[in-house]
Amino acid sequence: MAAIIELENLSKHYSPTIIGVDDVSLTVEDGEFVTLLGPSGCGKSTLLRMIGGFEAPTHGSIRLAGKDVTWDPPYKREVNMVFQDYALFPHMSVGENVGYGLKTLRLSKGEIATRVKDALSLVGLYDKVNQRPQQLSGGQRQRIALARAIVRRPKVLLLDEPLSALDAKLREQMQIELKHLHEKVGITFIMVTHDQTEALVMSDRVVVMESGRIAQEGRPQDLYDHPASPYVANFIGTTNFLPGTSGATQGRLTHVEAPGTTLRAELDAAPPPGREITIGFRPEKVRVLAETESAENTLSGRVAEVIYYGLGLRVAVELEGGARVFADSLLPDRLAQSVLPQIGQSMRLAVAPHNVFVFEGRVAP
Amino acid sequence: MNLLRRNLPGALVVGIPVLWILVFMLLPYGIIVTYSFWLKKYPTFLPAFQFGNYVTLFTDPQYLRVFLRTLKISLLVSAASFLLAYPFAYYLVFRCRSQALRTWLYMAVIAPLWVSYLLRAYIWKTILGTEGVLNSFLMWLRIIDEPSSLFLYNQFSMVVTLTYIFIPFMVMPIYTALEKIPVNLTEASADLGMSPWRSFWHVTLPLSLPGVAAGFTLTFCLSFGDFIAPFLVGGPDGNLVANVIATQFGAALNWPLGSALAIVMLIVVLSIVSVSDRLERKGLTGGT
Amino acid sequence: MTIKKGITAGCIAALTSGAAWAEGTINVLTWEGYADPSFITPFEETSGCKVNATYVGSNDDFAPKLMAGGGVYDLITPSIDTTQLMIDLGFVEPLDTAAITGWDGIYPKFLAQDGIQQDGAYYGMPYSWGAIAFMYLDSAFDTPPSSLDALWSEDLAGKISLWDDKSAIYVAARKNGDMDIYNLTDDQIAAAQDSLLAQKPLVRKYWATAGELVDLYKAGEVVISNTWAGYQSSLLAAEGVAVTEFIPEEGAEGWMDSWMVVKDTPNKDCAYKFLNMQLSELGQCGVANVNGYSAANASAAKACMTAEQYSALHQDDPDYLDSLLIWTPLGDRFETYTNAWNAVKAQ
Repeated sequence: MAAIIELENLSKHYSPTIIGVDDVSLTVEDGEFVTLLGPSGCGKSTLLRMIGGFEAPTHGSIRLAGKDVTWDPPYKREVNMVFQDYALFPHMSVGENVGYGLKTLRLSKGEIATRVKDALSLVGLYDKVNQRPQQLSGGQRQRIALARAIVRRPKVLLLDEPLSALDAKLREQMQIELKHLHEKVGITFIMVTHDQTEALVMSDRVVVMESGRIAQEGRPQDLYDHPASPYVANFIGTTNFLPGTSGATQGRLTHVEAPGTTLRAELDAAPPPGREITIGFRPEKVRVLAETESAENTLSGRVAEVIYYGLGLRVAVELEGGARVFADSLLPDRLAQSVLPQIGQSMRLAVAPHNVFVFEGRVAP
Repeated sequence: MNLLRRNLPGALVVGIPVLWILVFMLLPYGIIVTYSFWLKKYPTFLPAFQFGNYVTLFTDPQYLRVFLRTLKISLLVSAASFLLAYPFAYYLVFRCRSQALRTWLYMAVIAPLWVSYLLRAYIWKTILGTEGVLNSFLMWLRIIDEPSSLFLYNQFSMVVTLTYIFIPFMVMPIYTALEKIPVNLTEASADLGMSPWRSFWHVTLPLSLPGVAAGFTLTFCLSFGDFIAPFLVGGPDGNLVANVIATQFGAALNWPLGSALAIVMLIVVLSIVSVSDRLERKGLTGGT
Repeated sequence: MTIKKGITAGCIAALTSGAAWAEGTINVLTWEGYADPSFITPFEETSGCKVNATYVGSNDDFAPKLMAGGGVYDLITPSIDTTQLMIDLGFVEPLDTAAITGWDGIYPKFLAQDGIQQDGAYYGMPYSWGAIAFMYLDSAFDTPPSSLDALWSEDLAGKISLWDDKSAIYVAARKNGDMDIYNLTDDQIAAAQDSLLAQKPLVRKYWATAGELVDLYKAGEVVISNTWAGYQSSLLAAEGVAVTEFIPEEGAEGWMDSWMVVKDTPNKDCAYKFLNMQLSELGQCGVANVNGYSAANASAAKACMTAEQYSALHQDDPDYLDSLLIWTPLGDRFETYTNAWNAVKAQ
């Protein structure tokens, strides 16, 4: 695979203190589906708009298929964008919207018609070719915007929060559809979203951004299982955090002191003993122990809250050390009232060493 | 009684506007229409039902001539206002980065509306006159040796003055229309390969057409009915339809002919308004 | 008493009290200088009648104003070409000349004019008069103009002004040698129209109001025009612009304004007191001093004017008066004249 987009030390500083994007270097392979993930204001949209040519970087360079396009205006870049609220032209029909980008390609009338038809058929909306965008539903408009963007066969398709305007059900459906579309057309997709599920479901690779910088990038499961920082751990999925101190290491296992207990963590690279650290583990990786059951890495406390969410239960446990952690468990087939934990009852939890994250410093997010 | 009391607020809500329209619009128009069929007979005019006044309007070339001149002046005013107002509004909406400067410039265009119409027309007399500001300036620049009388008391000065007076009515609707265009539409156009000029042509201009139509209608109708500018800055060839109507109601004491002329003018203005209304609605819904 | 009846009673009271107040008040529709405080204030003090003046800008204003709001005005002052229209429209009533002191002092020429009497009764009281003279800017002429040809002179292109009035037809007709300007044939009117069209490219602006003509001279826009003799020239003199009035070889029109009493006025008493004052030395010299117009009452003028003023206003000059072509009602020819002038403007 060849690199299609290469960002080198790309920065966008609005002023010495207001920084949009800060020294980002990123390579996207041809055909990849990459998602820029982060909360609003993290610089992900600015980064995308710089790739699209709508904003000029203050530093660094952008290469598209090996060619420097840093200073090219949008209309000279072989990338296309799906805008957040679709940006369909209200004074044109669906067909005119989709065909709009073909006007500059010196194609014959027939060829334009064929391409428009193909693009609209791809998103299943060829029957709406003569309607106005205003007459369509949100999901249909979304698809028209997609068709309009891919009809020019760009090298890279940019998607700026493409699903944020849709309702939950439709969003889930469109996630899959987009993924399939990506597989079908084989174009590189770069998507911006603040929705971690979207990012995990759709992408080959996720780039988590924080304050204009890349916090971590990798395959969804790598990010989920090996977050590089409490920020990433918290942004992707939910994580329980405890303040701790590092202890001795034996092989791959490191002892860490948590309030009221000592845990063992399986780490690739262990911090030296005696450091202040932050311990993390995911609620769904916590096991609730039966009364007599013994296990490695136990935590005990009292049930403070029980949240029922259909798929399972989330129990908030107040540990003896004073911290509060969540434990998720799936419910058995037949829910007996008796198995539900009661508020105030004591409870013991266990978390396997390979599920314990250790981050340097006491920087609980 | 109870029924009446219960319906009274509703009756008032409907009744007052209806009464207003009846008394201040339909009744006066009805009177004018009636007069237009009357017969001029010294010393005044007689009730009658005949089309002689309309026949006069369409057969005596002086009325057609004034009508065409009025049409020309109004179109020139609308066109000049458009050519000046559009780039200005465009700059304010899309290019002016400073909010303060934008407000200031917008106010600078709108503020003259608070100044008396007569005063504004008068200002141009002092600017364009033989010993006026423009001539002094051109002489100071040595572009001309002696003051030119070409600037005042002709159709040029009328167009300049009317454009100045009515341009806010062009700026306001265009500004509003441009402001309503989402920025991402022009971005989308650029993204789809269109140069800024082609984006303007295919996206910004069509989407601002309702504002342009409204501005054209307003400036056209206002100039079409104007009779002060010909009086203040117009020359011997500056008579407009409204002046002729004023003459017929005054000096000529021929209210029937004046009324017929007013009705013809009203019909012209109404048809222009309805055409532009259709244009605006088309732009609004984006329907074909 | 119900509330409704109370309101009605209140309204009636208000209306009747208004009427009572109106008894000592006269409403005059006139030219601005004809109700000047210099003689109106003394009149109000001695007569006990209050004067409310509404001003007209042209003779064309009288008919529409009286048509629209009948009964508001008590006295009007149309010029001699409009008086007949007022009579024909039935807006005015015959005067009781016996009740007007000084009637016998009026120049016989004015009393003999068409337009102020009908069926042996007088409807108008001659008040002031003057010429539609011509005027030029002193600094623009080495040899003073003496003929109407000056207003058609190519050398003065763009520096000529003419009154926006049917009077333009009179001027053009005289220039063409048609001196019976109030009885022009259709052909003569057409010829006058042609002359005016030929003149049009030379005209800077047709003037409509006295102030406008003054402004045109002041701003250096025009150097020759016709004028209301005595009026604009004195305004220009006050501004330091040196102009000279002249009567061209082709003669000039003369005008004369008369006071007329609106039909069925409820304020007859004050109206006649007012007429008496206007024809007395107070009114006659008042109007002469304020406007620079000549007085219609020869004896009053003689009594109150200085010798210079008396002579400057041609009060002692029967030949001058005779040389003027005093405006005459055009009757049913009115439309032809105005239409011709309108056609010139429309061109």
